[in-house]
Amino acid sequence: MRFLIISLSCLLLASVSQVAQADGMVVDKVYHPYVMPFEREVEWRLVSRQTDNGNVLAQRGGFGGAINDTMSLEGYLVGERDDNGDFGLSSYELELRWQLVEQGRLWADWGALFELEKQHNIDAYEATTGFLWEKEFGRTSLTMNAFLVYEWGADIANEWESEFRLQYRYRYRSAFQPSIEIYAGEDFFGVGPGFIGLHRFSPKRQLKWEAGFISELSQSGKDHSFRLALEFEF
Amino acid sequence: MNKWILALSMLLLCMSSWLAYAKEYKLILKDHLFYPAEITVPANKKLRLVIENQDDTPEEFDSFDLNREKVLYPGRTSVIYIGPLSPGRYDFFGEFSPNTARGTVVATEVNDADN
Repeated sequence: MRFLIISLSCLLLASVSQVAQADGMVVDKVYHPYVMPFEREVEWRLVSRQTDNGNVLAQRGGFGGAINDTMSLEGYLVGERDDNGDFGLSSYELELRWQLVEQGRLWADWGALFELEKQHNIDAYEATTGFLWEKEFGRTSLTMNAFLVYEWGADIANEWESEFRLQYRYRYRSAFQPSIEIYAGEDFFGVGPGFIGLHRFSPKRQLKWEAGFISELSQSGKDHSFRLALEFEF
Repeated sequence: MNKWILALSMLLLCMSSWLAYAKEYKLILKDHLFYPAEITVPANKKLRLVIENQDDTPEEFDSFDLNREKVLYPGRTSVIYIGPLSPGRYDFFGEFSPNTARGTVVATEVNDADN
């Protein structure tokens, strides 16, 4: 079964290179392919993108948790600032993460992600699927995500897109793990530094944080993104 | 650019399915204590920690040094794959009983390790 999933993912990746790359906010979060049973979390993410045309701000709040030993389900409400400068609800999202192999058992670790998003007040949908991959090299970890995205609905053009994310981090201390991140999408190739960390309050309560500052390199204009994510697990 | 990155990803994904050989080391969790509390293992090898939780409550194996987290269900045996480790000491603990359930994996050159 797992070999079949891996084979299908390889085919999926082969097809990814044939479609348009994703537009919109490419900088977001690099997902790790692990699920902890009993885990529940509330999450808040912020992405602020500064270009020559102004600032785009997106925030999302989420709640979810493990539904069995290898899968977690999380729902999000996403808010964005519109062209008039008003911040409001923009979409709803449901996300399923699936840990496909036991950590460390194979040469590298695998997971999958499935996501469904509905835009608020308009007939526009987005389905995302892809793989989550991680490999340890001593005290460093390389994490990669590759996603295939399909958008459809009466209010948008139907199209396939792709996204790629990479994070290479040094596990210096649990509270501070510096990283380099890469994000690629339609007309976007960004690189920049980041860090993640964790603080444990009590045996079942901990706070995780992530931040990154990504600069777009493929265009000549200004395009910088700052991302921040906080997760409280309980 | 993306095509090259994705081609590299695809190659890595296919390589990921390789199963590495891993030698087995057994631990027991009883009364919120790990037995033995210290194990010596060979450096630079893949290893399997086989942990039997003899308590009637779940525990969560946690180690930043080993980069592992794993739920140990009561009355069940769990497997944690670790390594290859550089020579050194790697602490672990039970997240639900952090004051008592503690242990260390000591990775040494092969001649010094418990075999």
